Amino acid sequence: MGAYRADDDYDYLFKLVLIGDSGVGKSNLLSRFTRNEFSLESKSTIGVEFATRSIRIDDKVVKAQIWDTAGQERYRAITSAYYRGAVGALLVYDVTRHVTFENVERWLKELRDHTDSNIVIMLVGNKSDLRHLRAVNSEDAKTFAEKENMYFMETSALESSNVENAFTEVLTQIHQVVSRKALDVGDDPASLPKGQTINVGNKDDVSAMKKVGCCST
Amino acid sequence: MVKRSEPLRGSINERDHHGYRHQTMKSNSNSNSHSNQEDLKQQDTSSTNSHITTLDSRFNQTLRNVQGLLKGRSFPGKVLITRRSDPPDGAILGSPGVSRSPSEIDSLPNKHMDDPNEDQSHINKPNASTSHNKLKPSMSNPEDRSKEAPRFVMGARATDTARLLKFTKVLGGTTVILDKLRELAWSGVPPYLRPNVWRLLLGYAPPNSDRREGVLRRKRIEYFDCVAQYYDISDNERTDEEINMLRQIAVDCPRTVPDVTFFQQAAVQKSLERILYTWAIRHPASGYVQGINDLATPFLVVFLSEHLEGSIDNWSIADLDPEKISDVEADCYWCLSKLLDGMQDHYTFAQPGIQRLVFKLKELVRRIDEPVAKHIDEQGLEFLQFAFRWFNCLLIREIPFHLVTRLWDTYLAEGDALPDFLVYIFASFLLTWSDKLLKLDFQEMVMFLQHLPTNNWSHQELEMVLSRAFMWHTMFDSCPNHLAT
Repeated sequence: MGAYRADDDYDYLFKLVLIGDSGVGKSNLLSRFTRNEFSLESKSTIGVEFATRSIRIDDKVVKAQIWDTAGQERYRAITSAYYRGAVGALLVYDVTRHVTFENVERWLKELRDHTDSNIVIMLVGNKSDLRHLRAVNSEDAKTFAEKENMYFMETSALESSNVENAFTEVLTQIHQVVSRKALDVGDDPASLPKGQTINVGNKDDVSAMKKVGCCST
Repeated sequence: MVKRSEPLRGSINERDHHGYRHQTMKSNSNSNSHSNQEDLKQQDTSSTNSHITTLDSRFNQTLRNVQGLLKGRSFPGKVLITRRSDPPDGAILGSPGVSRSPSEIDSLPNKHMDDPNEDQSHINKPNASTSHNKLKPSMSNPEDRSKEAPRFVMGARATDTARLLKFTKVLGGTTVILDKLRELAWSGVPPYLRPNVWRLLLGYAPPNSDRREGVLRRKRIEYFDCVAQYYDISDNERTDEEINMLRQIAVDCPRTVPDVTFFQQAAVQKSLERILYTWAIRHPASGYVQGINDLATPFLVVFLSEHLEGSIDNWSIADLDPEKISDVEADCYWCLSKLLDGMQDHYTFAQPGIQRLVFKLKELVRRIDEPVAKHIDEQGLEFLQFAFRWFNCLLIREIPFHLVTRLWDTYLAEGDALPDFLVYIFASFLLTWSDKLLKLDFQEMVMFLQHLPTNNWSHQELEMVLSRAFMWHTMFDSCPNHLAT
């Protein structure tokens, strides 16, 4: 353990989850963000998949550890275990299938049941490129997001529009929350609220927490 | 010790344990003697002896194959490696034409006799070298291969012709002896026999040839009655739940084996949808679960191969008489049902069957390869994080599609014992990369295991996975204490 290579140096590690109905494009959002790839031939996600990417926010390197979950209800028992410790979530629906938007409420409940109340959530209407098939009005989604205290964005993983923005916005907001907290509690990471500590199953459990003694500071 | 409750366990395995225990596990002989005697009583002594000799050499053969793999590693079966060298090899080396019980020669799990149309030369490529290199990620690097001379030659194999003769003989009688068929099929079924063999192994087609046609005809009609009753109705006759399920299936069918263009044909997807929906309605405890769509595909391909010529890349389902499509679809439905009957709790709420097997997998890996198990544990990687999909889709997602039917020959030959045997196959699969895994941290491991480098796998790598699984199964399954925590 311990010997991180240079490209794995980061100041913050944030765990995000991607949730939403089956077939709304979660896996493609993830691959677009982490590898700049999109596949029309992607398979359904079974259980969970995982990818990471580091971005720079202000003068800090923030590493996002993103868990992509299966959309089918049957998998919730398995996937909800991965919500634990998440500090951000992208709740995705498909703008061409209204039912996936109707289910957002259930996903939200699921998420709130399993995560810390400070979690940053962004509602994401994906497949915005399919303009002629649109079934969910942007305004409706925006109103709903405001009511539920979520951020909102429409994306197209296919056209690569807004994907970067959506993830970056979530990470930036988390970063702000963390910085504010760090100020409030006098920069003592140990006194961060318990719920903020991530359990990613890794030894470097430092979500929302500054890496102690990190060389890049 | 021997699980009597598993009548369909390939006789190959069970008898192997006996042969092997009988002669080698002296220290355990007390606990085993009872079941041994019981079994021995059922056979006449002379045939038993020859049987044991052959099985013994068969075991040794597998063992030597695998020894290469484990070179330099300590593993709990050490005692077995040091046992006497095996003259009986000569028995196996005898000409395949010599009359001998057909089942015996062929049971070596690592034989490559599945494809008559496969280039035979590859059969003679040393499996051994694969085993020496198996720990390296560059398994298929030909240079590595040639550097290491094969330390052991595969036991002389029956020629393909001889093997085909055995299949023909087993399949030709008025009643197919399923145990014999299982033993043969375990090592791979010739493609043109696969549809018949699979139908028999799954208990869909009756062993009695006089009844076979009639039963199949009746079952096919029954399936279409079900489709008419459940699928061919309007949405207002469905419950909300059923509509949801149909929607889910419709979302998944176009994403089923998307890398094989054949599955992109609309008619194929429609067939798949009918099969899955009908199955789901008739199995309400689980209903449709994502991944079951994958499980239907080997059946589709195999049963269509009876009617379509050439490579799957050139198949067009439109060329097929609708009646034939119906038969294929019905066979797929029933075979999928039979397969899933043995794994019902894999797909019910919270999927307890899978969770249980994942737990067993973790235990087995710990027993076989302590360093890897420890590393995985220290990195905080949960087996569920990678092995869930393996169990859920029976490895279809992890290997190239052209190898799947061969893998399924072994699955179906295992019959009711399949779920437990999966644990051994998956342990063997995982430990193909044991050296690589030791070098990876948590995140690297998760990502590596999500996209394992099997793209260039040939039958050879798959056979090695199965051979090792067979050997570990032989070593551990008869000695549950090895696996106790």
